[in-house]
Amino acid sequence: MTIEFAEIDVRPTLRAGGEPFEEIMKAVNTLAPGQGLRLLATFKPVPLFSVLGAKGYGHEERELEGGDWEVLFRPTSAAPAAQARPSAAQAADAADWPEPVQHLDNRDLDPPEPMVRILAATEAMAKGEVLSALLCREPTFLLPELAKRGHAWRGGFEPDGKSYQILVRVGAAAQA
Amino acid sequence: MFGASLSRWSMSYFAAALLSLAAAEILMALGYGYPQAALQAPETLVLVHVVAIGWLSLLMCGALFQFVPVLVAQPLHSNTLPAPTLVLLVAGLASLILGFLQLAGQVDPALPFFAFAGALLGAGFALALWNLGRTLWAAQTLPMPAQFVVVGLASVGATVALGIIFALVLGGVATYGPFVELTATGLPLHVVAGLGGWLTFTAIGVSYRLLAMFMLAPELERRSTKAALYLGTAALALAFVGGVLAVLLRGNLAFVLLAAAGLGLVALALYGADVVHLYRARKRPRIELNSRMAAFALASLAACVVLIVVLLALGRLTDHVGAVVFLVVFGWLSGLGLAQLYKIVAFLTWLECYGPVIGKAQTPRVQDLVVEPRAIKWFGLYFIAVWAGTLALIAGYPPAFQACAAAMLIATGGIAAQLARTRRLSDVAAALRLPQGAKRPGLLFSHSHQT
Repeated sequence: MTIEFAEIDVRPTLRAGGEPFEEIMKAVNTLAPGQGLRLLATFKPVPLFSVLGAKGYGHEERELEGGDWEVLFRPTSAAPAAQARPSAAQAADAADWPEPVQHLDNRDLDPPEPMVRILAATEAMAKGEVLSALLCREPTFLLPELAKRGHAWRGGFEPDGKSYQILVRVGAAAQA
Repeated sequence: MFGASLSRWSMSYFAAALLSLAAAEILMALGYGYPQAALQAPETLVLVHVVAIGWLSLLMCGALFQFVPVLVAQPLHSNTLPAPTLVLLVAGLASLILGFLQLAGQVDPALPFFAFAGALLGAGFALALWNLGRTLWAAQTLPMPAQFVVVGLASVGATVALGIIFALVLGGVATYGPFVELTATGLPLHVVAGLGGWLTFTAIGVSYRLLAMFMLAPELERRSTKAALYLGTAALALAFVGGVLAVLLRGNLAFVLLAAAGLGLVALALYGADVVHLYRARKRPRIELNSRMAAFALASLAACVVLIVVLLALGRLTDHVGAVVFLVVFGWLSGLGLAQLYKIVAFLTWLECYGPVIGKAQTPRVQDLVVEPRAIKWFGLYFIAVWAGTLALIAGYPPAFQACAAAMLIATGGIAAQLARTRRLSDVAAALRLPQGAKRPGLLFSHSHQT
């Protein structure tokens, strides 16, 4: 079966120092049923794999000349919740989490401002909602505070090793 | 659970450390110890250990109990052990001082204070090493700053082991030939392992992360950083292992130390290049007091290197080793310690008091806990006094040195008062000070939220 791919190139946004997540999610939301997405980025967008995995898209990535990446997201026939993708453990792991309702880029903030913004944001969110944030280091003081407030979190360094992405699910510590 | 919690006892360590610093400055202002007494006179040894153990080691231990968990993203192995550790270290220091006073004939020699000191300090440092070692061990990978800390911890082990040997020999407990030999000629090894390995190497490791963190500069894992780590470690290993062998086999100790110094100076130059890079690559144009004052401490370290090289070239290092050690201890180590303490106390106090209520109530910023323009004049006085004191030592004017020590004491008092105000939230606007759910921090103790 051939799949038609919509194309989105976020390399200009990334090179300008911008955060292309919203742009990508908009493109995903306009896809027709059965349509795939061809994404061009300056790095391998690992966090996106789990987010789109949760929306029912499988991924296939390859490095282009000059260090850029092309990722093909294809709709998978199975329902997202029933997916178990052994090839991408992280995607399977986050498959039960909904798409983040908020994205923060806290990489250029002085400590402890990144922590303040994340905690303030989670206080305003409903139970079960997910927040995604980019940081410039592992948030060691934030994690115990999230646990104390009953939030679940998943995080890790991105492939470039420079930014750390954390997903926080409000009030979900019990089931994490 | 991952992540780091507040270290419960770090504030107690900082308070005990600052009291020791003030005590040492009072002694120097009164003309106790060097330069009025000889470098190896019991009075000078009292002074040196009040500074090295009472001030710098307690400061470093208190900082590491908080900072090692942050470095490796693991909770501290035990948040309880630091309390008995502190008691052992303080009691050990008191015994050591009494032991030195016995040497000077000022205290009745009936009680074996040197043996007590060896046992108490040995146990105290062993507990600290165990606690920090287990925390580091639990980490999957050690980032570069943590590797510096590991070398620093190995060095404190070496320093304390030699110190215990000295104490047992001086106390008349040990008469074993090689121990007596080490006590007679091994003092430089104890100083190098303590000041160079434990205090300087650990401070370098910690500074890599703190400077990057608070200036929003990239974390350095450059080739020069690795080279500084390896060369510095090689210098320390050569100085200590080679030095002990030279003492025991009656080899040329001066030659071994000179070779180690050569390696060490290259390592310091690489560190200097890294630090300049950190300041230049920072994303934050206006940096806070701690990073600005740290620059003066780093300049003092650079001045020490220049001084050592010049004195070596002139063949006068032995004459002025007191001045060099003074600048290393007060300009570099104490200067960096006081500068970072100013930020660390504010940060930890803020985290303890407002962390639990962020997002639930309006909270002040960390910078609302401090008034930098008020603190900066005390820091300025401190550094000027230290630099003038170094010149007074080199020029051989003891009264001028005493006056500088008195100025350092006043500056330290001013800085300590600022730290107490921060801890008490005195400078936070009343409306913001204690939002609902926030608890006022104790002066000397942190309520740890660790679960």
